[in-house]
Amino acid sequence: MSAGTYLRVAGEIARKDLVLELRSKRVLSTAVVFALLVVVTFAFSFAKSFTDLAAVGHGALWISFVFAGTLSVTQSGELESRDGAVDGLMLVPVDRSAIYVGKVASNTTFVTGVELLTLAFVSVFLGYAPPLAVLPTLVGVVVLASLGFSAVGVVLSMLTAKSQVRELLLPALLIPLTVPVLLAGVELTRALTGGGVLDQWLRLLVAYDGILLLAGLMTFEYVLEE
Amino acid sequence: MNAIALDGVTKRFGRFPAVEDLSFELESGTCLGLFGPNGAGKTTLLRMLATLSVPSEGRIYVDGTELTPDRTDVRRRLGVVLHDTMLYDELTARENLQLHARLHGVDADRCEELLSLVDLSSHASSRPDAFSHGMRKRLSLARALLHDPDILVLDEPYSGLDRRSKADLQALLDGFEDRTVVASTHDFGEGFAQCDRAIVLDAGEVALDAPIAAFEDADAFERRYREVIGVA
Repeated sequence: MSAGTYLRVAGEIARKDLVLELRSKRVLSTAVVFALLVVVTFAFSFAKSFTDLAAVGHGALWISFVFAGTLSVTQSGELESRDGAVDGLMLVPVDRSAIYVGKVASNTTFVTGVELLTLAFVSVFLGYAPPLAVLPTLVGVVVLASLGFSAVGVVLSMLTAKSQVRELLLPALLIPLTVPVLLAGVELTRALTGGGVLDQWLRLLVAYDGILLLAGLMTFEYVLEE
Repeated sequence: MNAIALDGVTKRFGRFPAVEDLSFELESGTCLGLFGPNGAGKTTLLRMLATLSVPSEGRIYVDGTELTPDRTDVRRRLGVVLHDTMLYDELTARENLQLHARLHGVDADRCEELLSLVDLSSHASSRPDAFSHGMRKRLSLARALLHDPDILVLDEPYSGLDRRSKADLQALLDGFEDRTVVASTHDFGEGFAQCDRAIVLDAGEVALDAPIAAFEDADAFERRYREVIGVA
């Protein structure tokens, strides 16, 4: 098995996940509506009383991140448990961690997409837009946070896929494990727009992403097996 | 030459043994029918043969190579149809096959060939959620055959099919005489017509292992089956 085959299979799985989501819009519609509701509610509740619109905007951004991320990974596991679809992927003659890589890629793309949309909502409804100079770095932070969230979320979603109480179990396991990702994301966003130390939080985020990805790659196959 | 060999294979779920100490060999090109009541361990055995499940004890060999989940080269030789059809309802029949063709590194032209083989060419642009059970099963078979495997693992291929769908599927499987087939079934008639050898599982153990030619007809086989599993 070559690296090319591995990456091709991972890419196909990511593409398949995104195509299925774009067609069904199961998670996309809910996540976008939720992001919009959060921003609009924040606009009504805080925009007139708070002078620091950036803090309100960041709050909306990371609340919708947690919601979109949780929905996305939940759907990711559910999608493969329907009609034994995951068995079809497990039969592909490639190392099964390629399934993990593909699913992490699709979840990261999805969550990042929803966050970019949330940023647009924030600028329209809260009248706050991050300075253009920091926008690429902010997007980078969102991508890194999405990667970390997806890295652990995909494993947990497959682990809980057959549970009767998946909707309860998955967030209960996921949120504590992703606290460092969320903390680093929030602090980096604050430092980017308000000034502050980036290095430490960035190092933490990258290192934690690396640990979660490595753990996912090592355990995913065992999670799939009976 | 043995295509498949099992050596003391046991699978436990918790403390419950689903199959226990199974050992048998299967020659290349043979069609093996797995019979047994519900819960006898047929699906568990098939999932282990398909590398979807790992034995708790014992070993499975394919052409002398031990079957472990990391043997991707062995998976290339397996075509698997289980009770679940492994299809995505958001994709059309053609797109489902094209997805698996890309995953297996198979040319896209093969999809049209297989859609025609399973008589679904006219439904290629329809989604499987609009299909009957028999059509889904045929599409699942097409998916399993995409990479031209020489070993087929089929879990109750005839279940839920009407007479015509059964006949269509049987005609399809008749064309696979050169392949090694392991199929579980509750249908004595189809099993008798299709298989060269029968293994009856009961409570996870082999209750009968005999060439199908040892029985005069399907009724004689069914009588023997009832005797060994102890039903009137």
